[in-house]
Amino acid sequence: MAWLVVRLAISMSLLYTASAVFEDQVGKFDWRQQFIGKVRFALFDTHSQASKKLLLATDKNVFASLNSRTGDLFWRHVDKTGPEGHIDALLMYGQDAVVVVGNGRLLRSWETTVGGLKWETVLDTGSFQAAALVGVQDFVKYVAVLKKSAISLHDLSSGSEIWVENLPDSDSVQYQTIYSGGNGLVLVLGVVPNSHIVIVEYKIEDGEIMNKKSVEAAWMSSLESSCAVVSSGILLCVDQITQSLYTLPLQSAEQTEMRQIHLQTLDLEVVSGFRPVLTSTQPNPAQPPLSEFFLQLSPDHHILLQFKDGLIAPLRDFNPAYLAAFATSGERTVAAVMSPKNDTACSINLFSADTGRRHLDTTIIYHMDPNGGKPNRLYVHAFLKKDDSVGYRVMVQTEDLALTFLQQPGRVVWMREEALADVVTMEMVDLPFTGTQAELEGEFGKKAAIQDGLLPMVLKRLSSQFILLQAWLAHLWKLFYDARKPRSSVKNEVTIDVLSRDEFNLQKMMLMVTASGKLFGIDSKSGTILWKQYLENIQPNSVFKLIVQRTTAHFPHPPQCTLLIKNKDTGLGSLYVFNPIFGKKSQISVPALPRPILQTLLLPVIDQDYAKVLLLIDDQYKVTAFPSTKNVLQQLQDTASSIFFYLVDSSQGKLSGFRLRKDLSTELIWEVVIPTEVQKIVAVKGKRANEHVHSQGRVMGDRSVLYKYLNPNLLAVITESTDTHQERSFVGIILIDGVTGRIVHEAVQRKARGPVHFVHSENWVVYVYWNSKFRRNEFSVLELFEGAELYNSTVFSSLDRPHPPQVLQQSYIFPAPINTLEATLTEKGITSRHLLVGLPSGNILSLPKLFLDPRRPEMVSEQSREENLIPYAPEMPIREEWFINYNQTVSRVRGIYTAPSGLESTCLVVAYGLDIYQSRVFPSKQFDVLKDDYDYILISSVLFGLFFATMISKRLAEVKLLNRAWR
Amino acid sequence: MRQMKRLLDVYVALQALFALSWCFTDADPGPAVGSQSNGERFKIEGRAIVPGVKTQDWVSTARILVEGEEYVGFVKTDGSFAVNDVPSGSYVVEIVSPSFRFDPVRVDITSKGKMRARLVNYIKTSEVLRQPYPLQIRSSGPHTYFMKRETWGWTDFLMNPMVMMMVLPLLIIVLLPKVVNTNDPEMRKEMEQSMNMLNPNPELPDVSEFMTKLFSKGSSKAGGGNKGSRSVALKRR
Repeated sequence: MAWLVVRLAISMSLLYTASAVFEDQVGKFDWRQQFIGKVRFALFDTHSQASKKLLLATDKNVFASLNSRTGDLFWRHVDKTGPEGHIDALLMYGQDAVVVVGNGRLLRSWETTVGGLKWETVLDTGSFQAAALVGVQDFVKYVAVLKKSAISLHDLSSGSEIWVENLPDSDSVQYQTIYSGGNGLVLVLGVVPNSHIVIVEYKIEDGEIMNKKSVEAAWMSSLESSCAVVSSGILLCVDQITQSLYTLPLQSAEQTEMRQIHLQTLDLEVVSGFRPVLTSTQPNPAQPPLSEFFLQLSPDHHILLQFKDGLIAPLRDFNPAYLAAFATSGERTVAAVMSPKNDTACSINLFSADTGRRHLDTTIIYHMDPNGGKPNRLYVHAFLKKDDSVGYRVMVQTEDLALTFLQQPGRVVWMREEALADVVTMEMVDLPFTGTQAELEGEFGKKAAIQDGLLPMVLKRLSSQFILLQAWLAHLWKLFYDARKPRSSVKNEVTIDVLSRDEFNLQKMMLMVTASGKLFGIDSKSGTILWKQYLENIQPNSVFKLIVQRTTAHFPHPPQCTLLIKNKDTGLGSLYVFNPIFGKKSQISVPALPRPILQTLLLPVIDQDYAKVLLLIDDQYKVTAFPSTKNVLQQLQDTASSIFFYLVDSSQGKLSGFRLRKDLSTELIWEVVIPTEVQKIVAVKGKRANEHVHSQGRVMGDRSVLYKYLNPNLLAVITESTDTHQERSFVGIILIDGVTGRIVHEAVQRKARGPVHFVHSENWVVYVYWNSKFRRNEFSVLELFEGAELYNSTVFSSLDRPHPPQVLQQSYIFPAPINTLEATLTEKGITSRHLLVGLPSGNILSLPKLFLDPRRPEMVSEQSREENLIPYAPEMPIREEWFINYNQTVSRVRGIYTAPSGLESTCLVVAYGLDIYQSRVFPSKQFDVLKDDYDYILISSVLFGLFFATMISKRLAEVKLLNRAWR
Repeated sequence: MRQMKRLLDVYVALQALFALSWCFTDADPGPAVGSQSNGERFKIEGRAIVPGVKTQDWVSTARILVEGEEYVGFVKTDGSFAVNDVPSGSYVVEIVSPSFRFDPVRVDITSKGKMRARLVNYIKTSEVLRQPYPLQIRSSGPHTYFMKRETWGWTDFLMNPMVMMMVLPLLIIVLLPKVVNTNDPEMRKEMEQSMNMLNPNPELPDVSEFMTKLFSKGSSKAGGGNKGSRSVALKRR
């Protein structure tokens, strides 16, 4: 009951502060894009002709069904990250898709039309090797899963285990593949490297070993990719050292040795250093594979071969050819081959598999993106046309994880940029002004006002007004022109050329850096990708840091962004400088970075071209400036004594502060050592550089002012205990002044552990940890105040602050797990702050900072009510109205980016993870714009009504006066 | 009234304080559960029900999250679910769906694999309110993500205190002279007397006085436009 009352009190006090979405705002300023990641397995539903399903399993542990006509998701299942959710194999038969998950731990069957789970079976532990569908008498009934030491057979309709058998000599033999040709047997193939092959035959009904034999193969190290089963059970292997193919009938008793066929006899040769690959196809699991197969001899040389009567005959040589794939429709199997056409395009052709003859009029031209990567996977969907000829569509995956779906004669049906499933860091950049806007801005430029007299200023004003009028007329004309055209032909295409800043600067350019090394420029209003750039040769373990050196404000200088790419292992970095609006690489010469980079520092110092100076500190504490012109170096020399930076060495638990010297060397000023035996540094965060604080203090209930401790150099250091025992683990927070190294405050949360998420802003730090005693997440807020008086109200100096700040702290229970945490940011900092909490459910909660106020009283008093403080309640409320993304959930949200807009009330929000969601939040509601539901009709009808009422009453009054005069 | 309110506030705060101290003294971490797993893994089973909605309409978007995303399960086409490979411990099991709301449940698994389900209570963490196991989680309806727009209606307008404050005196002014017979000299005298009592300065022109005068003249058009008539009255003076 008491809780009810408290909650009631809270909700009452919140009626005026809560921000929420109205139903009619859906999709008005927000959008979501869903991704799946890098495709590992893709299968087209060939069950029926009309089926549009495309099943995909990706490296992000996502299993999804796409509409192959539009590229949209039918459904998507996001499993756990890491090896436990890893998809090992994807098999499909009819309406069911069988997936092996978590290194062969789980076997799942999905109903593909609904997207629901049909059954799930737990398998024994053991590393997964292979899985195959097993058919008996033309019906696929079972699925076989091969582990390192066991094989099991499961019923396809219920998932129940038919039998499980241990493999003989599994500690010496590496069993790697399964083969079943529909003849009542399951064959398991294993290899003892450089010795022999082992073939074990199991009976499908009860798992009895029917036959076991070993065949000499001294040259063989692995069965995978170099071996394939073709025709009616012929094992075919290729070896690059002996330059030969080997064949072996799997079920014949007589032949005990592999037959060698020299590639020379076929006029073929494997390029040295390349591991040849054999690709065969088995269209129906209940029937033996086809006798045709592909042999890849070099990265761009494929050959289609046929195995017939113990002989291998080449059907067609594809040189050059990047990719080749089989596809089956009905009884017909075709091969699609992608070969280069010219520098920018590839042609894909269809060949019949059994003869190698080219199908006429089947060419698809694939244009390669000059800013993208090379194609590396080809998936073919073949179908029978009405005239019984074979038609096909292809899906091409490139190195930069773009999926392109093409149909004849080269029309791109859809395209997905799956690199965006793994956004590492992002920034938002203002769009440039248009010519007219720039003209207007120029009029009020600093120089103009001083030099010109009154008359030229007036003339200028008139001319710019005229330009505006012209632009407006042109706009009207365009509207009129578009209105005459049928609606379908008017495309709302967004291109870079038409992009310009809107009145309130709500539309911005989103720069996204992805883990694969592809950069994107996305229009924040519509989500359209405006440019993309694939950076080749990015190591997979690279870390990125994106820095905006020059914004769009310095016309005519183009905006400039710098991406620091750093190898995680070696620490060596490189810089990539580009224009964020057009995505073009800048011609500016970049300093060479021979030594590992420890820290970067963006100074407010600008060079003569208005680019901010970036300092890079290497492992010998030497500083490199970029750009490093004379002007910059001069400025650096002048200001060197006031440039400080800090370094974190979490392996040694050391925090150290440095000062820049005039010759760009550095000197150590302070050092704080946090003993690594007890605790380790998890994260260090300063404040955001573009943050504004509007009010210096808080007005208390008794009309006095409590001044905030606004130290711009303050660092929040989060530590976690090395002891992970439930009773002894703790989470610590240390607030350190980054200039002097003075520890401003220290707090420890006992019986707590990470992961810790925290936000450091204004005069407060909010952090979340896991309370291991009560098994719940807890929020803790630290607020720093100077007291009732400011020590030096004009300027803040870390070196001259004799009084330590007053620190207030309060903790609350948060009744949900947390993925990420960020605070809203507005132009001037007048608007109240909200915390944006990314939840594992995919929702983004906008939590008013009002709730995280350490001054929330336990006892309500007159003063606290005056201050609008909510009485303390241990549990934080979560209301569904606070989910800013309603049902547009963001899977695996990893980061939230906030940026101010031109409107003080509005903060732009981008949440990224597997999906990307962009929206706007209004923490104090839209106080500076008319609301969406502003009732224009009512207000105008009242105005008109009053107007007419006065007219009528005036008339009446006149009449009455007249009458009286006559009386 | 004010005192009542204050009393209520004090009561609320006291309750809050009580609960706070209660939650701090509660040192019992619930059932004896070792967070360290000894290798054995268990399975959390249950069924999710959305009344009145076919399962195929929501199962493809639903997920079972155990303690955040630590363990993940999926819903079968009949609404049942199982989360495999969960070591012993205490977990909050939640069904996450973008369209329907499900309440979370805490599931305790002992090291021997005994299971029980109870209501999630983050404040009194050791309180046990048993729930059925295997879990039966019934949706409490669709999510209410959206705020209602304030729609404009005549009743809202009329019930507005400001409007009421304007309209009621107007009615009194218009109707009272009609109800009370002002032509009756006795009544008139009485009223004047009371007016004089209220108005200490008889020199000052009194609005109500001439209003009554005006209306008592029996102008039948009074309802038409009182603004006009008022201006007339002023002019006449």
